[in-house]
Amino acid sequence: MEENDPRFKPIKEQDGFALVPDRWKIDYFASAGELSRFFIELKENAKLMGTKCPKCGSVYFWPRSWCHDCWVDCEWVEMSGKGKVVVWSQVEISLNDLQTAQVPFVQGSVLLEGARYPVVVFYRDVAYEDMYRGMPVRVEFLPPEERTGRSRDFYFVPDV
Amino acid sequence: MKKVAVVGVGNTPFKARHIDKTFPRLAYESVKMAVEDAGAERSDIDSVVYAIYNDFFEHCMMPDHHIHYQLGFARKPAVRITTGGATGGYAIRAAFAEVASGLHDVVMVVGVEKVADLANVFEMIKSITFAADPFFEAHLGASPAGSYGGAIIWHMENYGTTQEDMARVVVKNKGNAKNNPDAQSPMDVTVEDVMKSPTVIYPLKILDHCLNSEGAATVILASEEAAGRFKREPVWITGIGASLESGRQAERDDAGKSLFPAVKASVDTAYEMAGVTDPPSAIQVAEVYDSFSGVEICLYEEFGLCGWGEGAKFLSDGRASMGGTNPVNPSGGLIGGEHAIGATGVYQVAEVVRQIRGEAGARQVPGVNRGLAQSMGGARGAYSVSIVVEG
Repeated sequence: MEENDPRFKPIKEQDGFALVPDRWKIDYFASAGELSRFFIELKENAKLMGTKCPKCGSVYFWPRSWCHDCWVDCEWVEMSGKGKVVVWSQVEISLNDLQTAQVPFVQGSVLLEGARYPVVVFYRDVAYEDMYRGMPVRVEFLPPEERTGRSRDFYFVPDV
Repeated sequence: MKKVAVVGVGNTPFKARHIDKTFPRLAYESVKMAVEDAGAERSDIDSVVYAIYNDFFEHCMMPDHHIHYQLGFARKPAVRITTGGATGGYAIRAAFAEVASGLHDVVMVVGVEKVADLANVFEMIKSITFAADPFFEAHLGASPAGSYGGAIIWHMENYGTTQEDMARVVVKNKGNAKNNPDAQSPMDVTVEDVMKSPTVIYPLKILDHCLNSEGAATVILASEEAAGRFKREPVWITGIGASLESGRQAERDDAGKSLFPAVKASVDTAYEMAGVTDPPSAIQVAEVYDSFSGVEICLYEEFGLCGWGEGAKFLSDGRASMGGTNPVNPSGGLIGGEHAIGATGVYQVAEVVRQIRGEAGARQVPGVNRGLAQSMGGARGAYSVSIVVEG
């Protein structure tokens, strides 16, 4: 039993009403299933893996195991790591413990070379005011000991 | 398809916290009001659709099954809809389908939401953020503000819309809320007040955000034959459209000029069904989803009330204001009136019904025969429902 478990703390009384403390704490080891290669290549080899539809040629990053237009299975491809900025914004308020970067940080979407859709990513080493739509960027990865095999293992910087 | 009427409406006041009422109690109070408004008996209701968005907010999974029996509807069919902020709209659509198909004659839609039982606003935002793509985007901790922000920034860059333009939505909607006795945030606020409020994620400042509310709204739908049993003149749902896009905010196929393709798709369907061909003359009032101030400016365009890129001017010309050609959000909308998420789409329809009946009190738009209610939800408005109401 955890110390500070709110379920064992007394109710608060406010204006004659009972406020009942509680916490939903749920741990996961969520299987990435058919998407697993993305996570493993990212962590072990600092590679960005996408998938390509053999029928229409669409390249998906984030990867998907089947093409939603063609209903055929896709094949894994390595992304070049280069792309162009689509939108960007600066997050200034620390929201909660789901946020995985320190404020202020720049977040936005990037369209990787060859990819069909942009994806939301972090930007670093660039002033928010200096960014523009179409700005060339490239991926950088956290060092191996810091990578945990998730999308926060990488960020995008200006590609000069 | 059978014709579908709204025969009763009811809602609780909307507040930041109803500390004195649980979610079943709020639902019950709105149900009683709607049943009384219709001049109905509880036994008239054949089926119920619950509009409750977020299990974390209610501190309970499948909250509908803790309301239904307590309303006295044991063993009557019930389904719960959850589609983000479009929950109320989709719930009305589900009820509409039951009546239009002939499956049931009288179907009640009950929208309710708590929000303040979560320990603080940060836990509330977390509860919404759990809707992010679980494989790739959840770990970025992206926020709802970020998801709508991309579209708003695009509007600013392409059409020159400014933060001051967006602030005028806040001034209008909080001002309109002063005419609404059930509104959460009636207030006189200036463009300068909005500009001075802290930035959360550029360009959205605290005052550009919608409210977080608790409350409930209920509407009762009936077939044309069944509508005759009730005391009110029926008001008709003549158009209803819905759409769902990707849950990833950046994943959108080309949609031409539309920044919210699910909204455009839903409104096009609703207009076609209702025979609306000239929105500026046809839509005399609208209750729409101002999740953020800048979004409302985009919505005028998605609804065809003005041309692409003309949203800021539509507002600054006064056309969206009370007394204008197409008043938008006389209730105060989500920024001034309320955003008890599951209840919102239901409340919007209740308000348009009141406008048509001539019962909207100080927020009445004169001579309304047709209005639009629209809600959206999920990442950057992935879900949207548009409803045309006439009478």
